[in-house]
Amino acid sequence: MNNLQNDNQSVFVLVPSYNENEVLRDVVSMLVEKKYSVVVIDDGSTIRQSLYLKNLPVHYIRHKLNLGQGAALQTGTNFALSKGATYIVHFDADGQHSAKDVATLLHPLEDDTIDIVFGSRFLVPTLSGYIPIQKKILLFFGRYINYIFSGLLLSDAHNGLRAMTSKASTKIILTENRMAHASEILFLVKKNRLRFTEVSVSISYTDYSKSKGQPVWNSIRIFFDLILHKLFE
Amino acid sequence: MTGIQIILISGILVAAFVFFIRRRNNIADLLVFTTLVGTAITFILFPEWTNIIAHKLGVGRGADLVFYLCILLFVFVSLKLYARLRRLEQMITDVIRKEAIAEADKLENE
Repeated sequence: MNNLQNDNQSVFVLVPSYNENEVLRDVVSMLVEKKYSVVVIDDGSTIRQSLYLKNLPVHYIRHKLNLGQGAALQTGTNFALSKGATYIVHFDADGQHSAKDVATLLHPLEDDTIDIVFGSRFLVPTLSGYIPIQKKILLFFGRYINYIFSGLLLSDAHNGLRAMTSKASTKIILTENRMAHASEILFLVKKNRLRFTEVSVSISYTDYSKSKGQPVWNSIRIFFDLILHKLFE
Repeated sequence: MTGIQIILISGILVAAFVFFIRRRNNIADLLVFTTLVGTAITFILFPEWTNIIAHKLGVGRGADLVFYLCILLFVFVSLKLYARLRRLEQMITDVIRKEAIAEADKLENE
């Protein structure tokens, strides 16, 4: 048990938070319980997110301005690497992921045959539960657009839950500050020939995460960010 | 001189005035700008000259030629500005990131 705890401490879970407020505390407590090192990146929220994290043993970093989730994850990665992380996990702050899934995600990395693991809600159909129809259509297109841009066909285009080794994370340097970072990760996986796999994770669409989630038109913006990214590479 | 010529020429002269009084330009910029202003004023005074060039390039009217060139210029300028915007965003990101991490380290070491 003691051994497991030490192991978990070198797993750095990055939780970018932009105005998640109360929900953030639940998400973080769930991760702290599993003894992971949690890094909350407050991406310039209106209310300092540290107010919601009182007495929780977490690392807290605050961006002075709102830069976007991609930028927050990169800041978290730099920080985690400086603290000697062995594994880095991306975890959304809106409560749609489950802390149990982190262990599943880490498992393929442990024998050093895989560099990065993507969470997917579609590998086991029963797990995905109810997914709103527009969301389904968007994810369907997102999947193929990512494929066209990156050459990698994943079953779940924009799942926020991923884990990678520290070595892989030094190669995945995100320059897309906003949501296009999810696709940028795929470009970098391809470019650096990282070994990847997908594992099944659960997603819960609470009313909260639905209201916070990406509005549909946002995907159009992601699409243009991608085109411009390719143009200005 | 027609009304539109007066409007266009005074517009260009105002732009030139603003450009010159800023005095932060190097010689190359100054030369390019002076040439541009010169060409613009020439073609405003003698619009039929654009027709001659347009015909040589296979475009019907001088005004159309100017329009096409403006589209090209617009695309070029947009791309340049966008590239600069991206560089700027990257710089801001780097600054905010460094500061955020330094701040976090400071808090934890206290």
